[in-house]
Amino acid sequence: MIKIKTPKLKTLESIKLHLDALFTGAKEAIKPGTITIEYPRERRKLPDNFRGYILFSPERCKSCWQCSFVCPANAIKMELASNNRYYPSIDYAKCIFCHFCIDTCPVTALKPTKIHDVVYKDLEEMYTPTELMVKPPKIVREEEVTVEYVMDGDIILKKSKELDELFPEIEPHVEIKEHSVCIDPESCIACGICEHSCPVEAITRETIGQERHLRIDIEKCYGCGICVRSCPMHVLKLVRIREEKA
Amino acid sequence: MNVNGLSGLNELLNELLSLLSMQHFLQNQVSIPLIQPIIDLLLSMPFVGYLVALILWKPMFALLIFPGLGTLMAVLLFIIWFERKLTARIQWRKGPVEILRQAGGVIQALADGMRYFFQEVIVHRDAHKPYFLQFPILIFIPVLLPLLFIPAGSIVGIESPYSLAIAVALISLIPVFIVAIGWASNSRYAYIGTIREAFMYFAYEIPFILAVISMILLYGTADMVEIVEKQNIPGIFLNPVAAFIFFLTTVMATSRLPFEIPEADQEIAFGPFVEYSGIMFGLVMTITYEKMYILALLMSVLFLGGGNGPDIPLLGNLSGVLWLFVKAMAIMVLLSFLRSIYARLRLDQALRLSWNTLMKISLLSLAIGIVANIAFGLGW
Repeated sequence: MIKIKTPKLKTLESIKLHLDALFTGAKEAIKPGTITIEYPRERRKLPDNFRGYILFSPERCKSCWQCSFVCPANAIKMELASNNRYYPSIDYAKCIFCHFCIDTCPVTALKPTKIHDVVYKDLEEMYTPTELMVKPPKIVREEEVTVEYVMDGDIILKKSKELDELFPEIEPHVEIKEHSVCIDPESCIACGICEHSCPVEAITRETIGQERHLRIDIEKCYGCGICVRSCPMHVLKLVRIREEKA
Repeated sequence: MNVNGLSGLNELLNELLSLLSMQHFLQNQVSIPLIQPIIDLLLSMPFVGYLVALILWKPMFALLIFPGLGTLMAVLLFIIWFERKLTARIQWRKGPVEILRQAGGVIQALADGMRYFFQEVIVHRDAHKPYFLQFPILIFIPVLLPLLFIPAGSIVGIESPYSLAIAVALISLIPVFIVAIGWASNSRYAYIGTIREAFMYFAYEIPFILAVISMILLYGTADMVEIVEKQNIPGIFLNPVAAFIFFLTTVMATSRLPFEIPEADQEIAFGPFVEYSGIMFGLVMTITYEKMYILALLMSVLFLGGGNGPDIPLLGNLSGVLWLFVKAMAIMVLLSFLRSIYARLRLDQALRLSWNTLMKISLLSLAIGIVANIAFGLGW
């Protein structure tokens, strides 16, 4: 058995350590290196890629369901709007603010904001339908100072009078134009699911003799990929529109 | 009854009445040249004049204003806030800030006290109900009485050749009441806290009393007024060892960190006071702060020259009051400052330190006291 003895300091050494502690305390008492942010009166400067409340612009959305599919918390539900298109709605009781939906949106219809302090009265209210996602929620900004942490060896608080912009400008995605094609027409069983699923009616079925053919209107198709996912035989594929063709 | 007996009774009655007369109070009045016109105006009023004369009578002033009740309350409200604020500052936090924001939350303790008033006082089933409710109030006897013996310049409540001994004896009564509180609480945490309090009581009391005795030997008197008069050189330079012992035992006696062993809120949740709630908790919580105030006053009288200091003519008799107050506050600030630096010692470590090292040094301080008395010719 190894017995560890308590370290024995010499009297002078221990006095020196006590004085050291007292001196450090006195130094902090006179000039403290505070890191506290008095939240409603001060607000921390947040980075532009902060994952906060999500805004939605329906004019850009092409109802591709990508956000709903990618959501790991199942918080996004697609709802049928009056114009016969499906738009996302978010349940903030489930949302984990991973912003996968924003990253995956091919047309930048979902936008991140720095709003992180929304109050709800109950769980039902946390379900945010599409109409409420278009406008930012009502926020009261009491702060006069914006605080920024600067890591320069030690943490330093940098305070500035200018208020933080809660809605960062984000550049829209470079849109990749794609359209759907049938890569293996012989395997097609002509079930018609793709025809029904297409939101813009770009897919039509023709009957020539005994055979049925799929015809995809490239002009109408905007590459949402719903038909690709719904095809039971996996014969549809999204391909890029070539520059010269466009 | 014969005529002589009646006249004797008459004389006694007259003497009593003259003791209660305004003239008697005015003979021994606190003089404050700064607000003398206002005092004169108030004295000329019929009923208010009598009250003002009574309050400005020196013993009554000592009881009610300084170092008595009024200052004690103000100090309590201030030091609790100040301790939280200072600790927060050293630990990079903000401390209480929301109540009276302009002054940095200075009335936080007052707000807490008001909240205590409106909370229910719960007396649990196992408690000894009469003692449980009596002791937090009875403890004010040994807390307030020593204040009467402490001289602030020429203002002193009771002058006695044994004032220092009486004050120390009364202060030594406080832990007895705390042990009684723990007994009346009759719960496990209170039991542990009480045992710890009792252990600490024996450990610090002997070096504490030895340090006080060494100062009595040094000045050759136990009268605090005389002690202050004799301090041309502050006692801390005459006997620094005794000053160190007194300071350390004060830290132990008021259960400040690093000797916050009986209360230890993280492990035994305020020890003897664990069962209290409402205003009763407010009363028992302030005991250590009150004790800290008394011991700080006593330390400034014994080691820092009490009310001695540059005379301020405008303040008159209040000059001594001001100096004593400033010295006592400085000691209290230092005691609060320790809280944010040290961690709590274990009970056995504190006992070893106290019974071993402090006892040796306090015996040394006795010797220094005798030698200094002879060397400086302070006499008996």
